[in-house]
Amino acid sequence: MLLFENTIVTVISLSTPLIIAVIGETISEKSGVINLSAEGTIMISALCGFAFGYLTDFALIGFITGALSGAFIAAFISYCDIKLRMDQIAVGFVLTILCIDLSNYLGQEYVRINGPIVAKFSLPLISKIPFFGKVLFNHSLITYFSILLIPTSWFFLNKTSLGLAIRASGENPLAARSRGINVKKMRLLGTIIGGALLGLAGATFSLYTKYGWSESHTANYGWIILAIVIFGGWNPYRAAAGAYGFGLLQVLAIKAQSVTLALSQILPLLPFPIMIFILIFIQYINRRERKNLPKFILSILGGNQPEALGKKLPEDVN
Amino acid sequence: MNNNFEKLQISLLRLFFTLSIIFFILTLFGTSPLKVFDSIIYGSLGSYSKLIRTLIVWGPISMASIALIYTFSAGMWNIGIEGQIIMGAVGATLIARSFLGDTFISPYVQIIFAIGFGGVWGLICGLLKVKGNVHEIFSGLGLDFVASGIVIYLIIGPWKREGIASTSGTDIFDKASWIPTIGQNEFPLLLIILILILYILSFVVLKYTSFGLRLKATGVNELATQRFYFSSSTFILLSFFIAGSIAGLAGFSQASGAYHKLVPSISGGFGFLSILIVLICSRNIYFTFIVSFFFSALIVGGSQLQIRLGLDHSLIGIIQATFVLSWLIFEKLKLEEPLLKKVFRSNK
Repeated sequence: MLLFENTIVTVISLSTPLIIAVIGETISEKSGVINLSAEGTIMISALCGFAFGYLTDFALIGFITGALSGAFIAAFISYCDIKLRMDQIAVGFVLTILCIDLSNYLGQEYVRINGPIVAKFSLPLISKIPFFGKVLFNHSLITYFSILLIPTSWFFLNKTSLGLAIRASGENPLAARSRGINVKKMRLLGTIIGGALLGLAGATFSLYTKYGWSESHTANYGWIILAIVIFGGWNPYRAAAGAYGFGLLQVLAIKAQSVTLALSQILPLLPFPIMIFILIFIQYINRRERKNLPKFILSILGGNQPEALGKKLPEDVN
Repeated sequence: MNNNFEKLQISLLRLFFTLSIIFFILTLFGTSPLKVFDSIIYGSLGSYSKLIRTLIVWGPISMASIALIYTFSAGMWNIGIEGQIIMGAVGATLIARSFLGDTFISPYVQIIFAIGFGGVWGLICGLLKVKGNVHEIFSGLGLDFVASGIVIYLIIGPWKREGIASTSGTDIFDKASWIPTIGQNEFPLLLIILILILYILSFVVLKYTSFGLRLKATGVNELATQRFYFSSSTFILLSFFIAGSIAGLAGFSQASGAYHKLVPSISGGFGFLSILIVLICSRNIYFTFIVSFFFSALIVGGSQLQIRLGLDHSLIGIIQATFVLSWLIFEKLKLEEPLLKKVFRSNK
């Protein structure tokens, strides 16, 4: 029982940055922009977050700087996408490579040093509840934030008019415009919110779950996040489930290390084949046979890709 | 005025702008740009043996870039190129470790297997696109990691070194399986011949055959493909297969020419680097030839940065990515043309 409890606690705290990043990327893609720079954004904001946290000895400053650097990169992509009409995928890709090398170059002074520590914050009273208290209410503040972010982002995207406007801009920019929505502004907003969350996730890596900085500190997490967003079918709840699933995989991989080296190396790559399978499945059910499938399978594996995802805005929008 | 001449002027001016930005950033980092470039040139072209090292890097980068030209022509984003390089290397290693490994025909059989393995891996991406309607970025990315999973499994599992299970790589290949070289300095003749054949062949195919034209039509205008009664799906599949095959060759060059064994990071990130190259060369074979050589020289010369100036190797990646990003932005801003016109008017 204790082992079980501890595993869940580890999974929840290990998944903290993944949850934040996955929801950020989901919001970005809902507004129609694939922020392909996720890998680079997370890496450079992990460095910025750690460096500023170290310099000011205050973790909160680190988190804020991380989020700001993520938002800045996203704003740059948005500028290239909307104003210069460049291929968002090309810009995102080049930025990934640039940010990875930039963080490795600028981060040399920060390799393996100690910075501020994010303390655990047990919620009073409810953390005393047996099992649930220990598993759910005995984490750091950033973990509570990540858990709260899941329903909040769902509510934001589905129930607020701003969230609906962002989604409309990602589905059908022309129709959104004819309803009086400022599509460019919505895309910019969606991308920046998403980028800020990606940046926050980066800072969470270097200040909390993968403490410190080293060369290519957060390697591959950005790509994994792109996979989990698809696994989540662009729905915050499912994306979060995917992120926790990946957290579990990581714990299993660490446990497997003592048994077989191969398994521990390969387990973390599992999201990628699953992503491909999900994409095939989504296309398959969207084409035909959709109604014949049991509803629970659809709700687990289905999903609607935003219609205008990755496409340039039409010339005459606004 | 000659149209080509004007284009050349614009390109040169853009090159000047781009290099200025790189110089500015290097100065911002507190380094001397002239010293950096001096070290890079010395480190990559300073001696015959250094030139050969540059050529060995230029080989796979050229191949991967040519491979990408085919998929870009068809309007496809082949991010799966890394996986295709990796699988090509797996194909080559399979032969190098087989009973053929110590015979002189080994490199030639390796070529065939590398092409096959890479081609099939590319084809999977194409099939997912055409049959499954899966965006090629996501499937390519997925297949990259699946390929690297396969390599890690092979290195730790069936192909592990005697007694050691580590991720440092397989045993070194038998010398007969290395890419044949000539002379004391080991000039990689076979590799250079392969690259030149690929460049010339691709130039002819893309420019002067109906296949090349149809490939381009597939990328530019899907409606045109319907009007002229050919299936764009077939051309997408073909482009992925060809790209995968050529990328597989790059994997062969990495395994048998550079490392002489299979390592987890066998692609060396050259696939992603080639995407950068092709982004700025936009399907132009001459440019690809020059830019891929320039980027290879940067990589090889970068090792001198650490020795001579104490600067980290990652500076090279920053230079490359900044170069591409600024180039792409200047291409969109179109500052060069009005500037040139102003200068010419004032001359008159």
